[in-house]
Amino acid sequence: MKYELVSGFETHIELQTKTKIFCGCTTQFGGEPNTHCCPVCIGLPGTLPVLNREVVRFAIRAGLAVHGEIAEIAKMDRKNYCYPDLSKAYQISQLYAPLIIGGYVELSNGRKIRLHHIHIEEDAGKLIHQHGDTYVDYNRGGVPLIEIVSEPDIRSIDEAKEYVEKLQQVMRYIGVSDCKMQEGSMRCDVNISVRPAGSEAFGTRTEIKNMNSINNIAKAMEYEYDRQVDLIESGGKVVQETLRYDDATGTTSSMRSKEDAHDYRYFRDPDLVTINISRDEVEELRAQLPELPADKCRRYIDELGIPEKDAALLTKYRRISEFFDAAIEGVKSPKTVSNFIIGQMFRRTETEDDKEKFEVGITPQMLGELVKLLDSGKIRNNLAKSTLEKMLDSGKGALEFISESDMGGVDDNALLELCQNAIAGNAKAVADFKGGKEKALKALVGNVMKNSRGKADAQAAEAKIKALILGE
Amino acid sequence: MVTREDVENIALLSKLFVPEEELDGLTESMQKIVDFADAINNAPASDEDFDNINNLSNVFREDEVVPSFPAEEILKNAPEQAEQHFLVRNRE
Repeated sequence: MKYELVSGFETHIELQTKTKIFCGCTTQFGGEPNTHCCPVCIGLPGTLPVLNREVVRFAIRAGLAVHGEIAEIAKMDRKNYCYPDLSKAYQISQLYAPLIIGGYVELSNGRKIRLHHIHIEEDAGKLIHQHGDTYVDYNRGGVPLIEIVSEPDIRSIDEAKEYVEKLQQVMRYIGVSDCKMQEGSMRCDVNISVRPAGSEAFGTRTEIKNMNSINNIAKAMEYEYDRQVDLIESGGKVVQETLRYDDATGTTSSMRSKEDAHDYRYFRDPDLVTINISRDEVEELRAQLPELPADKCRRYIDELGIPEKDAALLTKYRRISEFFDAAIEGVKSPKTVSNFIIGQMFRRTETEDDKEKFEVGITPQMLGELVKLLDSGKIRNNLAKSTLEKMLDSGKGALEFISESDMGGVDDNALLELCQNAIAGNAKAVADFKGGKEKALKALVGNVMKNSRGKADAQAAEAKIKALILGE
Repeated sequence: MVTREDVENIALLSKLFVPEEELDGLTESMQKIVDFADAINNAPASDEDFDNINNLSNVFREDEVVPSFPAEEILKNAPEQAEQHFLVRNRE
């Protein structure tokens, strides 16, 4: 029988506010243990949390960026559980009246992954298990999170990967989070079930907790899909449970025992007052949003004639797309700018981090100037390419490397002379070409390019040489 | 009706150990607490929203960093500590 995968995600994203959600302690990552703490965020009795205004604004921006509806009234709730990562024995979260309702993330195949809601909450402390005991650092406790809860709309591992990438991309664009999975500022809980293809009813789901890389999400989902299908095929039943993924063995295992079954006894947090969100504020925040990556990508394809695949690469990181936007000012062929960025400049920014920062040493205007020289026929492609390398090495503009004499190309008489010289000086290549070796022509063209310092038109030179040799 | 099993489950969730001989007494006490809450729930009341009786809303702080406490202050009341961490012994 054929099976279909059904998956929904709960994605936690740390917001890049300066301070924690309910106190003025810094949210900076790392730091000596327990040095970013105060009586509020370690939950001492008698302290009173006060909501950080910026957390609400960040969450609204996140909600708008994924087409969610911003609630008019939101409230904070207590989620009770007893574990040392939470010093109060409850987490302040939202259940009954979350900030954002609905929304969706659109995938490249046109499917929309619907969102159930987005809520704000506090992060827990970090536990280090060693020597059989648990060491607790509350620096992260109270760092603001949004939790984005999707509907079970994901139908394949590729869709799951793209969903996470799209969320990461859009949250980075709007500047609410750096979404670094390896540092824990983005973490996913993956709900997964299988059902016979064509069936409407959902199967029993399991939940894989705290996934911290897209690769692991894919591997864990693959393992869990196979495990569930095997179980059903062999007459067994999937048990609803929470799983942990073990990177080393590539397997999932049960995380909580039965007696720990969820019983969070949510109730309204009496320490925190109602949040009223005015429509004026929502509209103000909407107006401040930058052009979103999906819209940008569409514009590059439709208005600038950039191929779809290239447009996706250019818009994956906000800095790169901004560099591109600035570089194409007054340029006739945005596609050429795109080619230089995706080609030569991407080779120098290999890692995710490099691309995120996109510090390439030259300004977008410098790249624009170079492409304008090319556009106007003043220089040839080869010269433009080698010049760009020099620009990237030195941080200097194109005109530092291209002299007046390099511009204007090579006239017909000069080209003829260059070709004649190439033929005269490379008897072996000429003989090889006559003997049927098409490739030998390249050496002759190369000679012309070298002697013209890249100014000659390689195609014209090739045609001319061919004519000269065959005409002899 | 509060049952012995309810009390056992609550103890488990709260990570409390309750000796067998105390279970009946605690079940009875718990029933009294629930009855008390029920009495309040059943009190005649209008449809007023008790959820926000002070009518307070939008009490915020600005996103400005305030110096945190020194780690030794933070750890002062910890029952046990090690390497500047709260230490939780695993007793199982």
